[in-house]
Amino acid sequence: MDGGAALEFRLDPASGVPTSQQLVQQVEHALRLGYLKPGDRLPKVRDAVASLAINPNTVLKAYRELELKGLTEGRPGQGTFIKATLNRVGLPELTKLRRSLLGWVSDADTVGLDADGMAALFASVVRDFAERRSGGAVAEGSERVA
Amino acid sequence: MSALAGPVLEGPNGLRPVPWQRMAWVTWRQHRFAVAGMALFLGGLATYLWIIGRRLHHAYAAAIACHSASSVACVDAISEFNSLYRFFLGGYVLQPLPALIGAFIGAPLLARELETGTFRYAWTQGFGRWRWTLAKLILLALVVVAAAAAMSVLFSWYYRPYFGAGNSALALRAWSPLDAYLFDLRGTAFAAWTLVAFAIGALAGALIRQVVAALAATLAAYTALAIAVGMFLRQHYLAPLATTRLNLPSSAWIVGQWWTKDGTFAYAPWPPGDLAFRLCPPSVVGQGKSTSQFNAVIQCFNRHGYAFWHHYQPASRFWTFQAIESGWLLALSALLVAATVWVVQHRAA
Amino acid sequence: MSVIEANGLGKRFGSTWALRDCSLAVPAGHVAALVGPNGAGKTTLLNLAVGLVTPTVGSVTVLGGQAAGSPAALDGIAFVAQDVPLYGNLSAADMLHLTRNLNRHFDQRAAERRLAELDIPLKRKAGRLSGGQQAQLALTLALARRPRLLILDEPMAMLDPVARHNFMATVLTTAVDEGVSVLLSSHVLAELERVADFLVLLSHGRVQVAGEVDELLAGHRVLVGPAAEADRYAERLAVVHARSGGAQAHLLVRMNGDAARVPPGWDAHPVGLEELALAYLREPDAAALPGPARRTVTAVAG
Repeated sequence: MDGGAALEFRLDPASGVPTSQQLVQQVEHALRLGYLKPGDRLPKVRDAVASLAINPNTVLKAYRELELKGLTEGRPGQGTFIKATLNRVGLPELTKLRRSLLGWVSDADTVGLDADGMAALFASVVRDFAERRSGGAVAEGSERVA
Repeated sequence: MSALAGPVLEGPNGLRPVPWQRMAWVTWRQHRFAVAGMALFLGGLATYLWIIGRRLHHAYAAAIACHSASSVACVDAISEFNSLYRFFLGGYVLQPLPALIGAFIGAPLLARELETGTFRYAWTQGFGRWRWTLAKLILLALVVVAAAAAMSVLFSWYYRPYFGAGNSALALRAWSPLDAYLFDLRGTAFAAWTLVAFAIGALAGALIRQVVAALAATLAAYTALAIAVGMFLRQHYLAPLATTRLNLPSSAWIVGQWWTKDGTFAYAPWPPGDLAFRLCPPSVVGQGKSTSQFNAVIQCFNRHGYAFWHHYQPASRFWTFQAIESGWLLALSALLVAATVWVVQHRAA
Repeated sequence: MSVIEANGLGKRFGSTWALRDCSLAVPAGHVAALVGPNGAGKTTLLNLAVGLVTPTVGSVTVLGGQAAGSPAALDGIAFVAQDVPLYGNLSAADMLHLTRNLNRHFDQRAAERRLAELDIPLKRKAGRLSGGQQAQLALTLALARRPRLLILDEPMAMLDPVARHNFMATVLTTAVDEGVSVLLSSHVLAELERVADFLVLLSHGRVQVAGEVDELLAGHRVLVGPAAEADRYAERLAVVHARSGGAQAHLLVRMNGDAARVPPGWDAHPVGLEELALAYLREPDAAALPGPARRTVTAVAG
């Protein structure tokens, strides 16, 4: 549909994640994995709307958020382009982290935690960590950026 | 949000309406089958009337050209004319024609839109609801009136032999041009009646919103109106003339009969049987039903101081009556069309 | 500017009020969804907006103050009615020509191009097209008029999933390309979640919720916590809908700024549009309009 765009959006209606967040996450994900690099063009609003049949304001909102995060820039009359790259963790570091996590998983398995239990615990710890770092109130704990 | 709200949202000022003439194509495209059906039906009828009309006119020409009235050849010619095409005699079978044309073109005009829901398309276009209705009504009314006018020219021609001045003398069938069943087939009245049937149909369709029910209601309403006018109203267009003459021409339309005695009203329309038997018993006036017999009874009553009066409308008033009837039918149609437009514009859909 | 604005609008058919006390304003530039169960008054409201129905009480204006049904209003609004009424005995080409004749603007080329893209034969009678094709034809006619407001009454009822996607993609790209505002009704919530950015929720002839989707979602939370405490907090919070099963309670609450702090020990989760709409529809007395919402608590066993 849009030959010049480096990314084609897709939506997961079952995820429960708001549509504009899904778009933001897909761009971020692609940046992390190196599929997108500075200078790449995101799909035009119209093309995203046409291919996903979603509200144009949803796309605009996602693009605005990406721009606020400093990841993209809008060039008048041309579209939205990738400006920065996300801190990518190098392969050696990734391998090291993976190895230490594997040790943790086997510990958890030994005390009888199943896979779902591990995932829940991991997510909870990540959330707590993020909260502590941002210093947010407990009440706003499980809120996503609206 | 601002990304979507642009200058296109500014309201148009001094909006020029969609031109009226655009409705010509619209009306034609939507009603061509109904109009073609009507044209086919009327065309077939007209062709048939033209063919048999020529024979009728030939028979009439032969009958009146015949000179020795009592000769066998003449009697044959006269009876040939008198018995020809009894089906169309007196105009009875053509009476429902305005109702049929009007109902089949007029009733579905709005009823079909309302029945199938297409009014929700038609009335939300830029042309506008009442303008759409008025344009369609006027255009189709013109088509219907033109078709009816053409047919009435043909009817006038077809029935002309029956109004010949010398018909009675020759024992040829003769009718008054004011006669209930022939009056409204000729002149301008036929087109006016067709127009009124169309207008009744349109209003019925707008009110009833169902094609079949609207058709039935149109036919019923039209029939009631036509009968009421023919029986009660038309004779009062102008004050009738009064006479005690017995030999009124066959073209006169007799609308009332009564008796006076010594200048004051006595009986209408006939004296009671016992009085007739007492004054003019069969022994005095004889028995039978012939014209001479009838005259003998009247002369007998005259001798007793009774006078037999007729109220009649002379044939010379034909065009005056046509103008009066066409005029009020036209006004009624305009009223019905206005009512239809009002109903469309103001009634919740 | 409001594309539609109603003040105290009501419509009664016989002795039944199809719509009452309806006051709302939908700003321009939105794809607004009119949601509600069958018989909630959606079609009545849309028919009032296009002038097919006249109000019993109150008033309704469109396109920034034009009287509904007035020439200026009809000129700027394209309406696709429920069950897409088309003249069954006219061809698609005739329907184009008809619509072109009945309107001041009509983009014949765009309409023909779109029908070609959709593989709708111009010569086929409208009555012999499939339900999806009829809906697309009706939409094509509406869009070719270059309206400023597009009103669609249950537009997707006749469409299969692929056709729904294509239909909405067309509507939404037109919204981008031409700045058309859209007002569409549906009783299927799920299909509106991605499409609408303004929500009007109708129930039993009354407007229950009206507002921008983002603001509505930001203004509501689902609180999850111990059922035993539910009633106590329900006193203080603007609870739209509460479900309580044994130990745990789910309260869908309207957050009135700082006033509605989340109680300790409770989790606040964001809500989706469908969840929000369902909660309100289950509580016909609750409302998210200017003014406080009424508190209602229903216990659900299990």
